[in-house]
Amino acid sequence: MASPAIMPSMGAVVSRVSSAAMKKPLQFTSRRATPPAKSRLQQQRFAPISTTASLLKRHTYVGARSNKDMSKKRGESALRRTGTRWRLSMSDEPLPKPVPREQLPQIATDENHGLWDFFADRRSVAATPEDDAKHGRGWTVEELRHKSWDDLHKLWWVCVKERNRIATANWERTKSKLGFGEAESAGRDAQVKLTMRNIKHCLTERFYAWEDAVELAKKDPEVDLSGNGPAFTPTEFLEEEAAAPAEPVGNAEAADAVDPSTIPSPKLQGEAPRV
Amino acid sequence: MQPTRALLGMRYRKLRLTTKDVNKGFYKGTGTGAMGRHTKYGGYVIEWDRVRTYACPDLTGFKLTPFVTHNVKPTYGQYEGSKLGPKDPAIYLAKWKAENGLD
Repeated sequence: MASPAIMPSMGAVVSRVSSAAMKKPLQFTSRRATPPAKSRLQQQRFAPISTTASLLKRHTYVGARSNKDMSKKRGESALRRTGTRWRLSMSDEPLPKPVPREQLPQIATDENHGLWDFFADRRSVAATPEDDAKHGRGWTVEELRHKSWDDLHKLWWVCVKERNRIATANWERTKSKLGFGEAESAGRDAQVKLTMRNIKHCLTERFYAWEDAVELAKKDPEVDLSGNGPAFTPTEFLEEEAAAPAEPVGNAEAADAVDPSTIPSPKLQGEAPRV
Repeated sequence: MQPTRALLGMRYRKLRLTTKDVNKGFYKGTGTGAMGRHTKYGGYVIEWDRVRTYACPDLTGFKLTPFVTHNVKPTYGQYEGSKLGPKDPAIYLAKWKAENGLD
């Protein structure tokens, strides 16, 4: 039965298959005798070779070179857009397409965010040198002495914000290498720093004066620092004096309180301890 | 080899001190204090009473600016009869009394 083309080692296999095929018709006929089954058997009988995989393994000689493809990406090319050799899990996913910036949805931002205070205005990153140069002088200590604690505290933070604004402008100027505006910015910053320094001076001075005044008050018969009852009990004699301008120093100072800048409101100033 | 130009002459003392100028153990830091402590396991515990907080008052309606117009000449205090001037505790006490000694 084995054809001469088949290798001698396979002859036995083929004859075994054909002998099995010769036995099979007996079993099939016992179950059902159908002519198409017979014709299929005839095809099997004339099968040229065995299809058993293990026996079809290619013969390699001992010491032969491996035939494996060591290049796992052979044939892949970005230029020819071949894609990968194997299907990937996301091969069916459509790629996102870039959208122009104009078509992107507007990002909602807080109009009153505190970070806006870092800029001179909403439209520009830095003030122009002309605008930067428009500034007065810093506050003197004497002017600040007439201000309350709250005013000085607020003024300090106004200065801090101003310096933040100047620093932001400086950073932008350096980043974009504008090459101008440093002198104006530095001049402005110097005046703000002067104000801040004078605020510190004024508060230190006030603290020392308070410390000494506490010592002085301990000897004062009108002042009771024990905490029981009113701290200040003016005698009649002194009340009259207080009604009249008896204290030239204090009143002179109060009369001198012509503040160069805008005063928040006279009522507030009156309430706050102005020392 | 030639030293850096900054090192030529007598300018070394005027340069900033770096870790390369001194022996080991030199800690320069950045002038900022610690806000916690290291644990013995290598972690770090933040101590919230050391963390800086900034009490910025409400600035709405506050009209003062860091600047005073040049049209206003700087004023000088008048402290007649007081040697200490603004540091005089008597003036402080007198003012406190003039404001009814409330605070």
